[in-house]
Amino acid sequence: MRQISRRAVLKMLAGGGVAAVLAPGVAPEVVRGAEAPKRGGQVVVGLSQEPTVFNPLRPHIEVDRGVHFGLFDSLWRTDERGQFLPNLAVEIPSVKNGGISKNGLEYTVRLRKGVTWHDGKPFTARDVKFTWELVMNPKFGAYTKVGYDAIAALETPDDTTVRFKLKEPFAPFLTAWGDAWIVPAHILEPAADPNTAEFNTRSPIGTGPFKFAGRVAGDHLVLAANPAYHGGPPYLDRIIFKYIPDLTVLYTQFKTGAVDVTGMQGISAEFYGEAKALPGVSLHLHHSPSVEYIYFNHGKPWFKERPVRQALYHAMDKRAIIEQVYYGVPKPIEGYLPSTSWAYNGSLPKHDYNPDKARQILDEAGWKAGPDGIRAKDGVRLSFTDSTTAGNKLREQTQALLQQNWRAVGVDMQINNMPAAVIWGEFYVKSKFDSLLVGIQASVGDDPDCLNRIHSKYIAAETGSGRNVSQYKNPQVDKLLEDGVREVDRAKRRAIYVKLQEVLRADLAYLPIFSYVRIEGVKQGLLNYKPNSNVLHNTWNMYEWGWRA
Amino acid sequence: MRAYLARRVAQSLVVLLLVSLGGFSVLHLAPGGPMAIYAMSPTMSAEDAERLTRLLGLDQPLHVQYVKWAKGMVIGDWGRSYRDGRVVLEVIADRIPATVVLMLSAFAVAVLLGLATGIVSAVRQYSLFDHAMTLGAMVALSIPTFWLGLMGIYVFAELLRVLPPGNISTIGAPFSLGDRLRHLALPAATLGLVMVATWSRYTRASMLEVIGEDYIRTARAKGVADRLVVLKHALKNALLPLVTLAGLQLPLIFSGALVTETVFTWPGMGRLFVDSIGYRDYPVLMGILVFASALVVVGNLLTDLVYAAIDPRIRHA
Amino acid sequence: MSAPSALALARFVRHRPAVVSVALIVLLGIGTIFAGRLSPRDPIYIDLTHKFARPLTGGHLLGADELGRDVLSRLLHAGRVSLAVGLAAMAVAVVVGAAVGSVAGYWGGLADTLLLRLTDAMLSFPPIFMLLALAAFVRPSLASMTVIIGVTSWMDVTRLVRSQILTLREREFVLGARALGAPPARILARHVFPNTVGIVAVAATLAVARAILLESYISYLGYGIQPPLASWGNMLNNAQSYFATAPWVAVFPGLMITVAVASFNFLGDGLRDALDPRHVRARA
Repeated sequence: MRQISRRAVLKMLAGGGVAAVLAPGVAPEVVRGAEAPKRGGQVVVGLSQEPTVFNPLRPHIEVDRGVHFGLFDSLWRTDERGQFLPNLAVEIPSVKNGGISKNGLEYTVRLRKGVTWHDGKPFTARDVKFTWELVMNPKFGAYTKVGYDAIAALETPDDTTVRFKLKEPFAPFLTAWGDAWIVPAHILEPAADPNTAEFNTRSPIGTGPFKFAGRVAGDHLVLAANPAYHGGPPYLDRIIFKYIPDLTVLYTQFKTGAVDVTGMQGISAEFYGEAKALPGVSLHLHHSPSVEYIYFNHGKPWFKERPVRQALYHAMDKRAIIEQVYYGVPKPIEGYLPSTSWAYNGSLPKHDYNPDKARQILDEAGWKAGPDGIRAKDGVRLSFTDSTTAGNKLREQTQALLQQNWRAVGVDMQINNMPAAVIWGEFYVKSKFDSLLVGIQASVGDDPDCLNRIHSKYIAAETGSGRNVSQYKNPQVDKLLEDGVREVDRAKRRAIYVKLQEVLRADLAYLPIFSYVRIEGVKQGLLNYKPNSNVLHNTWNMYEWGWRA
Repeated sequence: MRAYLARRVAQSLVVLLLVSLGGFSVLHLAPGGPMAIYAMSPTMSAEDAERLTRLLGLDQPLHVQYVKWAKGMVIGDWGRSYRDGRVVLEVIADRIPATVVLMLSAFAVAVLLGLATGIVSAVRQYSLFDHAMTLGAMVALSIPTFWLGLMGIYVFAELLRVLPPGNISTIGAPFSLGDRLRHLALPAATLGLVMVATWSRYTRASMLEVIGEDYIRTARAKGVADRLVVLKHALKNALLPLVTLAGLQLPLIFSGALVTETVFTWPGMGRLFVDSIGYRDYPVLMGILVFASALVVVGNLLTDLVYAAIDPRIRHA
Repeated sequence: MSAPSALALARFVRHRPAVVSVALIVLLGIGTIFAGRLSPRDPIYIDLTHKFARPLTGGHLLGADELGRDVLSRLLHAGRVSLAVGLAAMAVAVVVGAAVGSVAGYWGGLADTLLLRLTDAMLSFPPIFMLLALAAFVRPSLASMTVIIGVTSWMDVTRLVRSQILTLREREFVLGARALGAPPARILARHVFPNTVGIVAVAATLAVARAILLESYISYLGYGIQPPLASWGNMLNNAQSYFATAPWVAVFPGLMITVAVASFNFLGDGLRDALDPRHVRARA
């Protein structure tokens, strides 16, 4: 199949102004915008944490990923519509094209020819195999083995073919490997200790559209264009990642034009009104897959009863939180999947703010008000703490509002906030909290699976491992989760997850508040900026960015 | 003299040991840990976090971890950051230039203004200027630095738009001294203003003491012009205790002004400390604590040695 | 009143800023102790219709904050917290400092060397770093903040007490008391402490000033007193976003801190002048 260069297609499109539609499986990554940006220039991305981990396989946080997207490639990527875009692979393996065997145990991937690393050495299948071996190496501190440990063996029949042999069918395999960055075997294999190689923090080498061009500690780092990129050189000369620890200051610097793109966390909701009116700026509102909840610890006495959970939900002025505290930016939600997900259940019952009903439910459940106005039952007072990350202003306001709402129906909520490093330690992992105000993203990419978080086998406080920190136990939910991971057919999977959302909503395992809407600010004139809820950072397509000519 | 030196060095080492023990205990005994930042990550599972905990040696008993760290410290291996595996000494060294630039500038502001106002206040004792300076100095000492800084940013950067609101330089622009100075102005001025008070009062007190001395009166009686008397005789002698003050404040140059760096987005050591606290990056935190304490200890040691060299009574105490 | 005390009082009264400060402190004290009665509103009452109300509108003398809570009421209640922490931390510092200084100064020898090294160690930590490290690692509350600030401030008092004791130890009246067989505690209580009260009082007032300031720094960084409990420091959390839109929310708490801290500083200054005549004026 002839390789069509991106530039050639752009030339074809520029005259017609028609947005190209890709048939899945077509070879090159084609820019879908009609307008061609000019060559050259730089973009400053503002981040509220400093990226310092440049080896994408080491433990890292979201901001590090922003840099990885520029330096490294993976076999394919997930675009903003949830489609897989081939990157280092020539096409996406599927059952139809023979890439996936009928029994789902073998994946064959054909790699692009002529790809080179930033130091000029050729990229081959050996690098893919090495990446897998490195992650599985017990001495290497890889950030995760999910997706890698499902592989029984990896064969490289020739330089451009990779064959994965899985232990058992694993539906999220494609998604997992869409996240798997390929690192150079010729640099890391000979390294004495891959955990401490210079590559990790000083001289990363990838196959990506940008090369590492230096860093000023605590301030910024620079990526420079890679003219030999297999998809054609990027439009921009340079991308600068600037570290600004305070979100308000980040916004101020965006206002004054020093920063061109507000990184990951975007603009805080309280500035939305002002930001809308700013000249020379485009705002992109897009759904992020994270959902804000009130998490209950089902191991605690009050939350074991469904009436209590229902009453709390009725007594909560959800609309005020969204409209007043968050200025109407995020969207109310009733389940754990955002509306952009293919498994979203849009017909869940809507929240009903009804304090009288709340009182009625509590009365009927036997929670009688004491002399101080707080309800009690069998000697247990309806008084618990709620925790969230200290210093998050909007969350603190939400808590203040909840406290007032719930006090009105006889529930005493105490606030106990802590710094992030404390609250997400043992307090969270070993289920020591009463309730949390927390934002959670169920999984990466488009996959609706959340087994780890809600299956009764994954309660760390009991079994020692797993992310079911709310200690929720529901056999019906367990079964649905297990079925969901095993089912490969998308339509059937959808039905399972739709039912799952229904059950969780009815049981009110947690109280869903809103699904995040990120306000991403971009300087006007920056073309091809595309927010993408399926990846963890909106610099995923930096190779397409460019300034209007 | 040698015995004194040996004793003081030994004592300094004990102090540093106590400092490191104290710091280590606080960090490790407290709730929370370096794995917390990955807890919310959808790409890392709980098993991954546990595996990494073991790899970093965080599951070992505290005293084992401490001894391992201390042994490394002594031979110059300060460990590696939990956040990115970088060598701790390198992480700290990277931030020193920015901190030094800020602190030296602030010192310059404080010392120059402090000396000037202190001298004038002493000479014109009880005048309106003196009272105003004393009042002003005290108020300056009492203002929260970050509040002053924020107001400065609002007035100069947002309202008047004459100075940038933070950073060390314009992002992405080539190096320019003018640019750097413009960015340095507000933070150095904010920090310096708060320190002016100390310098002004010390200068004033020192000058007053000297002015009251007999030899000044003699010089005056001899008819030497007043200004000359002040500048030549008084200042020379008044400066000595100020040198002590400088020596004591010098170590602060490296610890940086944590709050000021936060307000002005200055990439110095103070900022590194705050970030590392957020990440619970114990090796870096211990490195900074030991580094800053060592500076103070060495500073004190040098000051004491200088005095001992001058004053024989101390050596034999 | 004994002659030296009368003289001291006379000197104090001559120090005008100190006298004004006493008045201010008394005012602050009354305002915060009776915060409950003096507050026009409940400081935690949220009224979203009054979000960011300007001063002198809607019954809010000093305006309202982002949740419509009355700024004046919050200032008074927050003052309670900030002043309480300041005074309590000072108490901790004075008690610990005096104890350590007494033992070191009176018994000397090994105890003195060890305690002196410990004091040096504590003084070697850059104060704000140590404070932040401690604050970030304990559960933030009134009590823990008090302890932390107190525990990082006792060193000055120790040095003062110790040097006083060293001076007094060899004086005749102490030697006499020891010769008569008086127990150390009695000697300390009857002879040493009364002579030390003056300088410790100065150190104590300055310690209050320092404590209020430190609490505001820690709370501003997010590690101190946690909302919804208000302190002047945490009212300034996120202050930068308010300057442009609602400056009253950011200006008043900072002003209160400055006034309180300056008052205690001036008071300490006045006390120092009053109690130590040598320090005061050099006649030119």
